[in-house]
Amino acid sequence: MPNGIAADEMHFIFSDKAVLLFDFWRVHSPTGMALSVLVVLLLAILYEGIKVGKVKLFHKTLENLPNTSSQQLILGSDQDSTGSGSTSANGTRLRWFLWYLGQSLVHVIQVVIGYFVMLAVMSYNTWIFLGVVLGSAVGYYLAYPLLNMT
Amino acid sequence: MGMNHMGMNHMGMNHMDHMDNNSTMPPHHHPTTTASHSHGGGDSMMMMPMTFYFGFKNVELLFSGLVINTPGEMAGAFVAVFLLAMFYEGLKIAREGLLRKSQVSIRYNSMPVPGPNGTILMETHKTVGQQMLSFPHLLQTVLHIIQVVISYFLMLIFMTYNGYLCIAVAAGAGTGYFLFSWKKAVVVDITEHCH
Repeated sequence: MPNGIAADEMHFIFSDKAVLLFDFWRVHSPTGMALSVLVVLLLAILYEGIKVGKVKLFHKTLENLPNTSSQQLILGSDQDSTGSGSTSANGTRLRWFLWYLGQSLVHVIQVVIGYFVMLAVMSYNTWIFLGVVLGSAVGYYLAYPLLNMT
Repeated sequence: MGMNHMGMNHMGMNHMDHMDNNSTMPPHHHPTTTASHSHGGGDSMMMMPMTFYFGFKNVELLFSGLVINTPGEMAGAFVAVFLLAMFYEGLKIAREGLLRKSQVSIRYNSMPVPGPNGTILMETHKTVGQQMLSFPHLLQTVLHIIQVVISYFLMLIFMTYNGYLCIAVAAGAGTGYFLFSWKKAVVVDITEHCH
């Protein structure tokens, strides 16, 4: 098992040395640590943004629901479109499916980024932890107001 | 709509909000700290990896008896973790649905309120809720406990840093979301568009 460490001391430390997530991500110096904190900060901001983005995508899939009452409401009593109704229904069905597939992929990305942020905090490096906290705060601050703008 | 703020933090989005426990320490240990670490932690403590790796030898999975040593066992563990992650997503969706269905106890109370030009308006308050000792709420609580436990298990599995198992978690979450949330996206309530 590569890079194992003893799991008997668990507390936050301030340190310029860390190994984060991957073998190649080794931090030796203050500059490297500052850069790593920045990366982790951006990751946390991205995570909060993706949470909001998924809801926005959900709205988009709602708009593209395949022949439901929402479409009938929009079309109203438009009799001309019955001829092209079937083809447009198939087209909208595919479009809805693609939007929904996109939403599922965004969910996978959200799960993975969430776990990566968790593992970064698990390094027990205080700078990294502060970076995650700050990134979550900034991400929440920037992204959540966008939720109410429909 | 189902994805309201409560849904985001609590059950809709991710279980990450639950977790607040860690179990490993930083890799580089300065010798200037306490002297009790001269033996480097070889006692009864396990060596836990801190970076991602792909392997199937001696992979300990959650419980002390569960050790993976062969590719076949790793394949079995992959499938099991995949199904667990899928079940977790399904449980989340099922809880949301159950919550919506059980909120049928809607109480209206109207009261007259003086309007602008001396007219009287009726203001109607609608309260939706569950009683504490009702069966739906107890069921929700039990499901919540199961969800919390499974979310911690998935976190611990991801914490093994084993590449195969982590991919199983991510793929299972994606597939579960795809399969179970589909119903939600289609059935979505026409009644809920005014939120």
